[in-house]
Amino acid sequence: MSDGYTDGVADVDGSSREFVTINLAGQLLGIPVLDVHDVLNAQKMTKIPLAPPSVAGVLNLRGRIVTAIDLRVHLGFAPRGEDDTFMSVVVEHKGEPYSLLIDSVGEVVSLPDDDYEKSPVTLDDRLRAVCGGVYRLEKELLVVLEVDTLLDFDISDAA
Amino acid sequence: MDDLLNEFLTETFESIEEVDVQLVELEQDPNNKSVLDNIFRLVHTIKGTCGFLGLPRLEKVAHAAENVLGKFRDGELDVTSDSVTVILESLDRIKSILADLEETEEEPKGDDRPLIQKLDDIILNDGKVVAAEPEMVIPDIIVPEKEEDLRPGEVSMDELEAAFQNAPGPDDDSSSDATAPAVAAVAAVSEGSLFDRCGGEDSISVASHLISNRLENSKGLGQFFEKDLKDRCNGMLTAVLQGNDDSAATIAKGCIAGAGFGQDQFGELVDELKNVLQEVGASKEVVDEVAPELDVIGDAMIAKSEELGASSKGGDTKKKDKAAGGGRTQSIRVNVDLLEDLMNMVSELVLTRNQLMQMLRQADDSEFAVPLQRLSQCTTELQEGVMKTRMQPIGNAWAKLPRIVRDLSVDLGKQIDLVMNGAETELDRQVLELIKDPLTHMVRNSADHGVEMPAERLAVGKPEKGTITLNAFHEGGHIIIQIVDDGKGLPVAKLRKKALEKELYPASEIEAMSDAQIQKLIFHPGFSTAEKVTNVSGRGVGMDVVRTNIEQIGGTIDLKSEESKGTSLSIKIPLTLAIVSGMIVEATGQRFAIPQISVLELVRASSRTEYAIEKIKDTPVLRLRNALLPLVFLNEALGYATEEAHSDEALKSDQFIVVTQVGAFTFGIVVDQVFDTEEIVVKPVAPLLKDMSIYSGNTILGDGTVIMILDPNGISELANANVSNAEAGKGTDEQASTVSETETILVFHAGNTNQKAVPLSLVARLEDIEVERIEQTDVHSVVQYRGALMPLVVMNDECHIKESGRQPVIVFTDGERTMGLAVDEIDDIIEDRLEVELTSGTAGVVGSGVIAKKATEMIDVAHYMDVAFADRLADKAAQKTEIVSNVSVLLIDDSSFFRNMLKPLLSSSGYGVTTASNASDALKLREDGATFDLIISDIEMPGMSGFELAESIKGDDRWKSTPLVALTNLTSEKDFDRGRKAGFNDYVPKFDRDALLHTLTQQLKNKEDAA
Repeated sequence: MSDGYTDGVADVDGSSREFVTINLAGQLLGIPVLDVHDVLNAQKMTKIPLAPPSVAGVLNLRGRIVTAIDLRVHLGFAPRGEDDTFMSVVVEHKGEPYSLLIDSVGEVVSLPDDDYEKSPVTLDDRLRAVCGGVYRLEKELLVVLEVDTLLDFDISDAA
Repeated sequence: MDDLLNEFLTETFESIEEVDVQLVELEQDPNNKSVLDNIFRLVHTIKGTCGFLGLPRLEKVAHAAENVLGKFRDGELDVTSDSVTVILESLDRIKSILADLEETEEEPKGDDRPLIQKLDDIILNDGKVVAAEPEMVIPDIIVPEKEEDLRPGEVSMDELEAAFQNAPGPDDDSSSDATAPAVAAVAAVSEGSLFDRCGGEDSISVASHLISNRLENSKGLGQFFEKDLKDRCNGMLTAVLQGNDDSAATIAKGCIAGAGFGQDQFGELVDELKNVLQEVGASKEVVDEVAPELDVIGDAMIAKSEELGASSKGGDTKKKDKAAGGGRTQSIRVNVDLLEDLMNMVSELVLTRNQLMQMLRQADDSEFAVPLQRLSQCTTELQEGVMKTRMQPIGNAWAKLPRIVRDLSVDLGKQIDLVMNGAETELDRQVLELIKDPLTHMVRNSADHGVEMPAERLAVGKPEKGTITLNAFHEGGHIIIQIVDDGKGLPVAKLRKKALEKELYPASEIEAMSDAQIQKLIFHPGFSTAEKVTNVSGRGVGMDVVRTNIEQIGGTIDLKSEESKGTSLSIKIPLTLAIVSGMIVEATGQRFAIPQISVLELVRASSRTEYAIEKIKDTPVLRLRNALLPLVFLNEALGYATEEAHSDEALKSDQFIVVTQVGAFTFGIVVDQVFDTEEIVVKPVAPLLKDMSIYSGNTILGDGTVIMILDPNGISELANANVSNAEAGKGTDEQASTVSETETILVFHAGNTNQKAVPLSLVARLEDIEVERIEQTDVHSVVQYRGALMPLVVMNDECHIKESGRQPVIVFTDGERTMGLAVDEIDDIIEDRLEVELTSGTAGVVGSGVIAKKATEMIDVAHYMDVAFADRLADKAAQKTEIVSNVSVLLIDDSSFFRNMLKPLLSSSGYGVTTASNASDALKLREDGATFDLIISDIEMPGMSGFELAESIKGDDRWKSTPLVALTNLTSEKDFDRGRKAGFNDYVPKFDRDALLHTLTQQLKNKEDAA
């Protein structure tokens, strides 16, 4: 696997991390690749009346009931239009599966630790709370999503 | 780990748990032979298996415990609390050894001697039988070379000798129970036996030591024998010399470790034994006399050796025997993960099946139709089967509790009864595992903090013995587990103080909290109410952990506590993976499931059908037969505003109404569409959504869609906050207080400034009468009222009828008689709990309680009736006979308040009422030959309960056919069932006046029909 793709900086020391990149309202986000269980196209979803606004609904993923969280709403981005396509990334938190609705999924990238920085303090509160740091890519910035913080509703509720 | 060991561990853990429970049972009922036999069998099996697997420590402990149990069984020892404690202690030791064994696969090192000594002391101290097992079982206590040195506490030689004569052999693998009496019998005739002539205890002990050493070092014989034979030789020789052949044979078998021990080898052994005996000082004659006796052990040893030879070739005969002889249901152990996987696979299969079926429906006349049908059926059965494998009765989680409560009551010096109801209620085993610990903790808490010391209890007028009740039952997709104690309750003042000390919340907030809120602070981390930290309940890491654990599995916990009356904890847990029947309905363009269990009926209302939705002001209601049903529009409940749905036109069009019952509250849910019922698998909602009371779970339908399952409880809360509060109270409060249901109460003032009250159900009318119309007769004031004279009564001497203007009057009726109570002012009609806390000595007052936050006197209507109709009492006899010929009712209730309240109500409806204040009074009436057309009885009464009364009534011919109606606050489905089982024909909530009258009419009609 490493034959064709040798990164001068990310050497064998393992001083790099792999992320699945996702696109959310134009912003590039990354989720640690090992956290991602599934990537899905738009699925049939059941809405849950009275649920918190960021809960887009529940869906059936191979017999498991998965709660869908609309990341645009959850992180305070502009809501998605009616006809806009979306995809979802399935992650797990405390044994419970969640599907994170995003605009599209990019690729799997390996990013060297050298390009890593802590999240800027001026970042939007909602995003900063779940942001595990920022990677400086050539053209843009990739924001690392901390899945556990993102889905720890007890904490985010209390805050 | 070794498979055999693994199996042994699981099996033994189970057996031990069973023994735990059974021992407690035995302690309570020492004469229960079957329990005792069972315990003995279990411990014996444990011991046997340990020996088989070569676990000497376990074997010794089990053996010593078994000895004591054997004595119990033979009736030689009485079952006492102390002895049971020691046996339980030895079981704990076995458990801890097992736990280590499980971890390390090796028996841990440790000293069991004190424990074994304790067990043996039980036998010794009883005085009847003295046994010397400790010295034989425990290596090194007897050091043959120094046997003269008596250690402190050791028994003297004479005693030991006597003990040997009576004792069963040690290490007696399978038949110590059988041999014990035999030994006693033999001992009686063995005076001056070989045993004595060989030199008695001392010599045999030394001889055993020598022979075991020689055997171990002998080239020819060593291979056939177990190591460390000293104790066994000692027991074996003793048994042989005392002529106790059975024991000797058994021990002899235990000595043999290898195959190939034959007649020749035995010859060598006998020679060796003879030598040894002579060395310790036995004469030649005696030794020759001993030789033939040794044949017994020879035969046993040879047989055993052959057996070993066979089993090494032919497999494990011992194990096979056990399996065949166990007589248990056949079962295998399956890893839970495997089941989990299986479950997931089945879910997948179901979905695929559903897709196939969908395709089949679209294709006409497919050749796949028949096999697909069969596939479908198999799939369904498979699904059900797999689900069943996961369900277990909650009794499994309770199994440990009797033991725990028992230990606690001994430790704390309290007397506690543990009552368990609904142990057969099933729930998912995963959930079961998770609630085990919280449950245990809560029961411990109840025993430790809740139930008072016996003296304390007596002082406050409670029975000496406290009761902890565990209830489990299903309620709408949930399992409810209640832990109720009749202890001292949670001290609000103390909790408040503590909360302030610990600064859990700002002081102002704490001050403003209601008592219930304060009590719930015990779920707050770092809060413990015990003044003294006992070893039982921890250091404030209790209830908050319990709550966290329960919330982790999607459950809720609620608490109700009343000081000096008791505490009731109620856990509500979703039945994960439970299959329920759900009615699929549509609202807001989406489908939802309503658990069928709470659906009473489906009504389609429109202008064309007999049912129609009507409006009171803007509130739509459904007139259903004789009742008005409050309605909830599901669209609205789900947050979609549907003002237009309330428009007259909309209401006239077709409406589907799901009539739903929650507790005693019935209401209608208006939905857009009703589909069908489906068997659904309840899955808990994600933690994120668990706070939404309107959903009880979600599920995947046959077509793969996820739908939400509605919780009727949650919807009813929307329908009526008041009602649901009362419901919630009912759920947890049943045991904690006797009378606590909201009731409509008329509040008024008369005479002094005390607030007075009377249940509205007793009031016929309220009138404002012009003073001019009031006339005086020589007895009292009267007023012409509806064509008759109505006497006007004043509350007491402090009250006067007004001199001008209008006089407020409360009108009561009793049969054909009507009276008016003149009062100063009618204040209000309120909904509140009717709790008479203090009884009153004043005539005309039933007692006082708190209503609308004020101390209030509850008036006694019956008293004023008597005042108004002084002739009433005299008249009553005549009136009664007249009505008795009509319909006679016996009313049994311990509270005079209820008797007085219901009597006029029933009388006014034309029933002749006889009252009794308790069950035994009622049965006395039966002995006197009285007969009634109907019997109404309260359930919770001191002494004999209503259930017991019902059983007694139905068990006797005289009143057998009399319809029996229960009158109660307990209105859950479970209570209904229990009532029906006890023999009640019907069940009526205590305050539902109309339901009562309706039921009475109904029961009389049934009776006539039957006649």
